Parts: sequence; structure tokens; C-alpha cells
Amino acid sequence: MFVQIEDLVYQYRNASEPAIKNFSLQLNEGEIIAILGESGSGKSTILRLLAGLETPKSGMIIINGQKMVDDHTFIPPEKRGIGMVFQDYALFPHMTVENNIKFGLRHMTSKQKQKRIEEMLELVNLLDYKKRYPYELSGGQQQRVALARALAPAPSLLLFDEPFSNLDASLQMKIRDELKQILKQTKSTSIFVTHDQVDAAALADRTVLIEKGVVKNISKVEPPKSYSLI
Amino acid sequence: MKLVQQVKTQINMWAILSFVFIVIILLPNILIAIHFFGEPNENWFHIKEYLLFDIFYNTSILLVSTGVATIIIGTSLAWMITVYKFPLRNFFRWGMILPLAIPPFIGAYTYQGMVNYTGFIQSTLRNSFDLQVNQKYFSMMSMEGTIFIFTMFLFPYVYVITKSFIENQSSSIIENARLLGANSFETFVRVVLPISKTAIVGSATIVMLEVINDYGVVKYYGIQTFITSIFQTWFAMGDRESAFKLAGTLMVVVIFILVIERVIRGRKQFSYSTTKIRPIQPKQLKGVKAWIAFSYCFTIFSLAFLIPFVQLIFWMLMTYERILTAEFYTLVKNSFFAASVAALIIVIVGLIIANYSRIHQGLLPKFFARVTVLGYSVPGAVIAIGVITIFLMIDRNLGSLFKLFSIDTTFVLRTSIVMLISAYVIRFLAVGYNSIEAGFEKVGTTFTEASRTLGLSTFRTFLKVDIPMVKGAIIGGFILVFVDILKELPLTMLLQPFNFQTLATRAFRYANDEMISEAASASLLIILISGICIFIFHKVLDRGEAN
Amino acid sequence: MKHLKVLIFSLFLSVLVLGLVGCNQASEEKPVEQEKTEETAEQATTEVEEAGVVNLYTTRHYDTDEELYKKFTEQSGIEVNVISGKDELVQRLKDEGEATEADIFITADAGNLARLKADGLTQAIESDVLTTNIPEKLRDDENHWFGLTKRARVIVYSKDRVDPSELSTYEALTEDAWKERVLIRSSENIYNQSLLASFIELNGEEASKDWAAGIVANMARTPEGGDTDQVKAVVAGEGDVAISNTYYVGRLLNSTDSEEVKVGEQVGVFFPNQDTTGTHINISGATVVKHAKNVDNAVKFIEFLTSVEAQELFAEGNNEYPVNPEAAISETLTSWGEFKEQDINLTILGDNNTRAIQLFNEVGWK
Repeated sequence: MFVQIEDLVYQYRNASEPAIKNFSLQLNEGEIIAILGESGSGKSTILRLLAGLETPKSGMIIINGQKMVDDHTFIPPEKRGIGMVFQDYALFPHMTVENNIKFGLRHMTSKQKQKRIEEMLELVNLLDYKKRYPYELSGGQQQRVALARALAPAPSLLLFDEPFSNLDASLQMKIRDELKQILKQTKSTSIFVTHDQVDAAALADRTVLIEKGVVKNISKVEPPKSYSLI
Repeated sequence: MKLVQQVKTQINMWAILSFVFIVIILLPNILIAIHFFGEPNENWFHIKEYLLFDIFYNTSILLVSTGVATIIIGTSLAWMITVYKFPLRNFFRWGMILPLAIPPFIGAYTYQGMVNYTGFIQSTLRNSFDLQVNQKYFSMMSMEGTIFIFTMFLFPYVYVITKSFIENQSSSIIENARLLGANSFETFVRVVLPISKTAIVGSATIVMLEVINDYGVVKYYGIQTFITSIFQTWFAMGDRESAFKLAGTLMVVVIFILVIERVIRGRKQFSYSTTKIRPIQPKQLKGVKAWIAFSYCFTIFSLAFLIPFVQLIFWMLMTYERILTAEFYTLVKNSFFAASVAALIIVIVGLIIANYSRIHQGLLPKFFARVTVLGYSVPGAVIAIGVITIFLMIDRNLGSLFKLFSIDTTFVLRTSIVMLISAYVIRFLAVGYNSIEAGFEKVGTTFTEASRTLGLSTFRTFLKVDIPMVKGAIIGGFILVFVDILKELPLTMLLQPFNFQTLATRAFRYANDEMISEAASASLLIILISGICIFIFHKVLDRGEAN
Repeated sequence: MKHLKVLIFSLFLSVLVLGLVGCNQASEEKPVEQEKTEETAEQATTEVEEAGVVNLYTTRHYDTDEELYKKFTEQSGIEVNVISGKDELVQRLKDEGEATEADIFITADAGNLARLKADGLTQAIESDVLTTNIPEKLRDDENHWFGLTKRARVIVYSKDRVDPSELSTYEALTEDAWKERVLIRSSENIYNQSLLASFIELNGEEASKDWAAGIVANMARTPEGGDTDQVKAVVAGEGDVAISNTYYVGRLLNSTDSEEVKVGEQVGVFFPNQDTTGTHINISGATVVKHAKNVDNAVKFIEFLTSVEAQELFAEGNNEYPVNPEAAISETLTSWGEFKEQDINLTILGDNNTRAIQLFNEVGWK
């Protein structure tokens, strides 16, 4: 198993009941998982726990053989090598597109960095926008920059928080397909959180239905015909 | 959660640094608390019997009257300038902040100098119109005069805070009130005032804390208040114990004010609507109404800035040849140096504490955030008492430490500028902190989280993301602190090291030695520098809102 | 690891800031003393002895004072460091005790000086220069403190409404003829306290209390403002006579503001009690601090201030009388003529201060 999550429990301060109860999930390398749930179901919290932005009450997370969290271990977010695309993208407004993508790159010569940036921009089809600032981009473009930024350091796991919620319906479908392509192309293991079943069905290999912090159902998505043709 | 984890996530450098700063801020207060409950001496009974009532009486009158007057002037101006267009309105928008550049004590002696027998008003009446006036009506040195001075030079606090609050409200609220049949005045009284309650009460509290803390005005006008009594008891009578007790009593008053503020505000905190739905579009006033609005604003602006400013220029022209010497340059340098070093430290400390309490939820960080505000509520003289006492202890211990290593040194922290700067930091940390905290609040935590998932530690995130993103708030905080320190009087007077005078202390000395026109040059310089800072601040603020 | 970096960074920053502050301090004020380290201690000490410093706490702050400090440094090579303040400096000196850096304390009012002596904060100085330059009456009987300038507390009257022949003594101002005509500042002020303290010595407590009560009864208004304000009120017609220190009238006459000069010209200065106890005088003076580290320099400095040359500038800076009889009196002061002074030891002013305050409170003098 590439990603192993076991019996994760999370409780907010001052809350009487845990927001996440004994959440377990396994992912294969390259798999795309959708976590589906109403708002307040705790689905975003799972992403935050995986990223290391929250500390679980108990449970264990192992990614690619490395223990991220258990009763004795807590690896801080910056050491986990997990990429995340935030709901509102969180692009640094004081940096250009190029610098946003460069932000996560380290242990590379500047030449290598430059090469990686070009690759990423090509991947998301934004080569001409290198020198722009985030506020000069459309919503869809911003999201692609956010994706490129998260992908650039080659994370072992990629997380998406409601990736399409800020986009127009028309744009949504187009971006969704692009995203799936990119994810498959880069063989990224990814988890995304959504409240939209259509999104989940279109993008994921498996969907996890979550209600009040408890897993209700895990189902495999049949590959749509259009995709299987490729 | 297991203990190891808890320790790992909770106790980090941010927490430790914040803790250290908080302890430093709390020390003077703890000291005062200890002495407050100590055995009273004979002098204290004398003070209690003969002075305390007067002090309470004067202080309450000053607080209530100044509070009410600044609220009336501040909110009416804020309302008028936000919803109407009239001649010079765009200038008044920031011009009304300018009175803050004039320290109240400078305003106080300027006005007295203007209305007294040899002042401009009476000499004009006498020389040009041969009019002798009854002196009774030409003195500022009374309770009424003191209230006038405080109101004129402190109302901008109410104005600025209320104005930016109203500006951030959606116009639909006001339009709705109009549709429901309310006229402008009714809208103001029944809708705008209640909505802005938190802003108004908050800013009026700042005004009251300033009044309580004032030394210059009440000393010059001869009004007995807590601060003058603390000075008198401590320095004229040499009774530190009773001074501590007065300081403690004053702290009770301060806490009382803060509690009242909480109660009036209700459970609501300042809430800025982050997304402006539709900002209020000012309505063009025409004819008489436009002139009334203009006259009102112009009158206030003249009284609170223009008239004293022009008077000071006249005095400066009379005396500058004698005053503007090389020594004067040193004063400017000292003022700049102390204010910028202290403001810099405050900004750094403020950033650290604000960042800590932002990243970590929980009671401790929240407590830290509250404590930073304490310094601003504690009057300068009280902080001075605490700081001196602490440095005396430090020096004594340092002395024995030096002796232990048989180092023969005469170095004492007390007479170095370290003591003064520490006191500034304690007193004004809240000003810088609030600005930075507000900046962080606007930005939220997502960017920090994004940076961390991209592999940057909290510290590097702090440098590369957090600081650049709240740059505006940092500059704003720096400027506010800088101006406050530039005008500061009691701390600087009590804690000055050798050869260290500031523009403010020099201006006060001249005025207090009954050499008013000689005080003009230093005063004007304070006003000019502060004025420029306020202008920059206004620009930074406007840009921040535009983004 | 990262946390450690934060710590190191913050420490570095604070050290940097403190260091900057310290250096600035050191280089500006006491370049030699503060940079002393073990290795250079010896060398530094000799430097101190050669050039040296003198540290001054002063409650006087006139522009001419600074000129004099500079002149002293030019002549002697001794650097003058100054903290100028008010009453709080006395407390500061007390708090600092042995650790004080102050060598000299200069303050207006002999009462303050006497109290410093009583608190054991001063030391006796043997100096022939000082004993020659300063009349015996104007220095401490054990030479703990020395007068530097002299001022008289006089009656200032309206030239229009008062004939000087109506004036005689301080006591006469309590007579019914002066009802609602007398102007004087608040009793909180040290000049009034010392005035009453001198009366207690000369006339006894009872008479002094009666005097204070009599003045309160004849006041033209509740006390308000400083001495200058009283003089202006005389010209404005609020009252006819004011009790004021001489130099305030001198300042008005020499003011750059023509309106103030006019005020000065419309009043006369009357030295009361010429046929009886004499006019009340007071001094501003200097004392060498008990725990002074640079006693020799301190003495040199005070000697310099009492020299004829310095006296003329020092006194003229505030329109005061020099203590050195050799020094010339300014033009304004000469025009007022000579006068008979109270013949009391100024130390008394300190002794009687508390009693004076109490008497003021008892008679309701604001």
C-alpha cells in the first residue's frame, strides 16, 4: 500500500465529540480518490490531517513507507512531501506565477529549477503567463497555477480541497478533464475532497463517502467509456 | 494526544519567545500589584483624606466630558465626510487626522499663550480696537479649558476609527433606512450610531486612556489628576510606597473603564466586512447645506490644527535664531533614534507574538494577545515606576556578577538608553501589535499553510510569506508607534539617560519654565514629522483598503 | 533544529539592537568609561584621569547653561554629561545610592539642596576658590552646597494704579487696603513654600499662618499659572500687585515678543521689608554628590561656574543675580537698584518646608 491511514481520530478543542472517527483508508500508487461528503462532514479535516496542518488525537498515517503520524511521531507539514491545492488556491499575491511555482523547489541548481518551472507551466498550459501576478489571472488560470505549484516539488501525495468550487460550471468540466489528464500523466497519487458526486465520478478511481466523520461507503468508479478509449 | 507530541507541537520557539516578552510586559504590573496590597504609611492616609476625592472627581469629569465631546465631534465628522461631498471634503478626509500630530500639551500651552494678556487675541483687541477684556474669560487654565484641549487634540481617534468602520459598511443599510422614511439625521442617530457602536466605544476608550495618561496638559493647567499626584507623591514628597498605591488605584480605574467598554460593546468584537458589497457613494451637497458642512469641518480643523499651527510658526519666527543651534540638531537625532529603535523592536516583538497566537489556537496564545494590550492601558508614569524598580534590581545583581568576575566597571543599565527603550516597548507594544494582528486577520492562515505544504518551515514561511503579506500593516504599526513615541513625555522625562533630551521634553521644559515662544521650534518639528507620518499612514491605509 | 535557528536569530537581533544602542551611547557620551574591558582597564583609567568627565544632574535648563558647559570642556578637557529634569532627579539620586553616576547636582531653591544634605546625599568640599567666590551666607555652613545664582522674591506693582510709596512689606499686603488686589501663584510651588518657610524662621509659625491666611483673603483670583502669568494679570488689571521672582520680570523686559516687553515696562519692581527683615532671596546652587566618582572634576566644574567670567553668563542667562560679588550685574538688574536681603541661613528653607506646606493647606491656599 502506498498510503496507509489507520484509525484516525480527530477532535476539535472544546468539542464534545470527535470530528473524525476511526478513519481508515488505503491508496495504491497513482490512484485518485475522491472523498465525498456534505459540508461539515469532516472531509476537509482529513486532508488537513494528512498534510500535517492538524494533529490527530490518535491513529497512524504512513506514506510510501514513511511514518507521518502515530502516537510517538509527528512529522511537520514541511517535511512530509505532500502537495496541496487549496480551495481558494492561496497563491502568494506578492509573487509572480513563476515565483509561486519556484517557491517549493529546493536542492536544485537554478538551472534545474528553471527547467522544472518550464515543465510545469507547459503541463498546465500557462507558459505565456510566467511573469504575471495572481490577480492578473482568471479563476481557471489561478487554479492551474496552484496545481503547477503543488506538483512542482514532485510530491508523493497530492491533496485537493474542493478544487472546482470557485469555478463557473462551464469551466468546471473543462478543467476537470484537464486535471484528470495531468494527474494520470504525472502518475500522481491524489486525494480530493468534494461535495459534488458528478465531480467525484468523473475524476476518481474510487470514492469514499463520509458522514459526520465516519466512512459510510467506499466504491469503485467504473471508468467512463470515453476515458477507456484513450 | 501523547505528551511527546503535545510538547512537540505546542512548545516551540515562538511560544518561548512570546512567553519571554509577555513576562517582561507583565513585570511592572506585578510589581505595582504587590505594592498596592502592601502596608500603607502615614502619608497614604493623608492622601486618602485630602487628595483622593479631588483626584477622583477631576479625573471622572475629565473622562466623561472628553469622552462625550470627542464622540460627538468624531462621529459627526466621520458621518458627514463619508456620506456627503462638499467643498474641501477630500482634504478633510485625512486633514481631520492631523490634530493627532499635535501633542495635547503643546496644544495646551499654545492656546494659553494665545488667549493670555500678551497673546495674539488680546493684544489685537487692545492695540487695534482699544478693547480691554475681562481676564476671567480669557484663560484656558481651568477644567473647561482642559476638556477643550483634550477634545480638540484627541477626537481624531474617534473620527478615524469610526470613519473606516462606516466606510466598510454596505450602502444598502443606509439606503434601506432612507427607503423606510428616515431623514439623514435620523439615519445617523438611529442606524449609523448603533451599528458603529463597537467602533465608537473602542475609540472613545483609547481617548480616555490617553486622558488618564496625560501629564503635560494637566500639569501645565494645574488640574490635579492621578498622574500629577503620582509625580507629586513620588518626587516632591519622596514617598514611593504611596505613589505605588496611587498607581494601583489608577489601574483599578483603568480596568473599570475597560470592563465598561466590554459591557457596552456587548459580545461583538470589531468586525470588518472583508468583502465590500457596495461601498457608500457620497452624495453631493448643494447650496447652504454644503456651506454648513464645510464651515463645521473648517471650524473644527482650524481649532484643532490650523490656529495652533500658525501661532507656533509665529513664535518660531520670533525665536528660531536663538533656538536652532547644534544642540537642537541633537534633539532631533535623539528623538528619531529612540522612536525608530523602539518602533522597530515593537514591530519585531509584535510580529512574533501575533504570529504565535495566530498559528496556535488555545488559551495561552489568546492570553498573550490580551496582555500586550495591557501596556497601553497602563499610564506611562506607572510603567516608569515599575521599570526603574526592575532595572535597579537588575543593576544590583549585575554589579555583584561583575564583582564576582572582578570586572571593574561602572556600566549601569539604568543610565543607558536601554531602560528608556524598554519602557517605550512595554508602553506602546499594543499600538504596533494591534496593527499587525489586524493585518494577519485579513490575510488568514491559508497562505502560511500553503507555504508549509510546499516544504518551508514556520520560520522560513514567516520570512518569505507572512512578513511580505502583512507589509502594509507592519509599516502602519511602525508609523503609529513612531509618532506616539515622538510625542511621549512622562516616560522620557523620568527615564532619560545622560545627555538625552527629545524634542518633546525640550518643548515641555521651555513651556513649563514659562518660555512659551522658545518652545515653538521643537513643537513645530514634532508636528511636522508626525504630520508627514500621519499622511503616509493614511496613504498606506487607503491602499490597503483598495486592494 | 529550526527552532534553534529562530532562537539564534532572535538573540542575534536583540544583541545587535542592544549593541547598537550601547555603542551609540558609549561613543556619544562616555567613550572611555563604558568600553572598558579587563585588558584595557588600566589604560582606560589613565585616560579618564587625563581627560575625564563630570556627570551632572540639573533642574536648571537655560540655553546659556549649555554654552557654559562647552566652555568648561574647552578650557579643561573635561567632558560634561547632563541629565536635566525636575524633582524626579532627587528621587533618582536617592534610588541609585552608591551606584549613582552623578557627580554634581544642580537645583534651584536652597530648600532642595538642604534636603539633599539632610538625606546624606552630599559631601563637604574644601575649596579656597569657592569660599572666596561665594559669600558665606550663600553656601552651606559645612560647605556641602554652594549657591551659583541669586534671585529675590519681590512685589511687582502696576505703575498706573499703585504708587510705590503705598508698598512697604510682605506683611502689609494682608491689610484690608489690598483686598482683591493681590496676585500670587499656587502654594504647590517651591518659591512660595520657601517664602513662607523664611517667615516661619523670622516671625514664628503663628504670624506666618496669619500672613498666609491674610494673603488668601486679599487674593484677586484663585491662584492660576506661573509667576509670569501673575505679572501679566497685574497689567491686565485683574489685580494691582503680584508676588514674583525677579527674573520673570527681567525675562519679560528682554523678550523677543514686543507685547511682553510692554508688560514688563508697565510694572515696577519693589523690594519689600527694606526697613525690617529684608527681601526674601533664594539661590540656585550645586552640590557634590556623596557617591560621586569624579570628585576632583566636580569641584573644578563648580569652581568654574563661580568664576567671574562664568558668573556673568550664568546669571544673565536667566536674569538672575550672580553670587560672586566681583561679577557684573546685568543692566536690567542694575536699574532696580540694590536691596537689603533677608538675613537667614538658607538651610532653614529646607527645614521648614514641610511645615510651610501644611500651613498653606490649613489656610486653604490652593
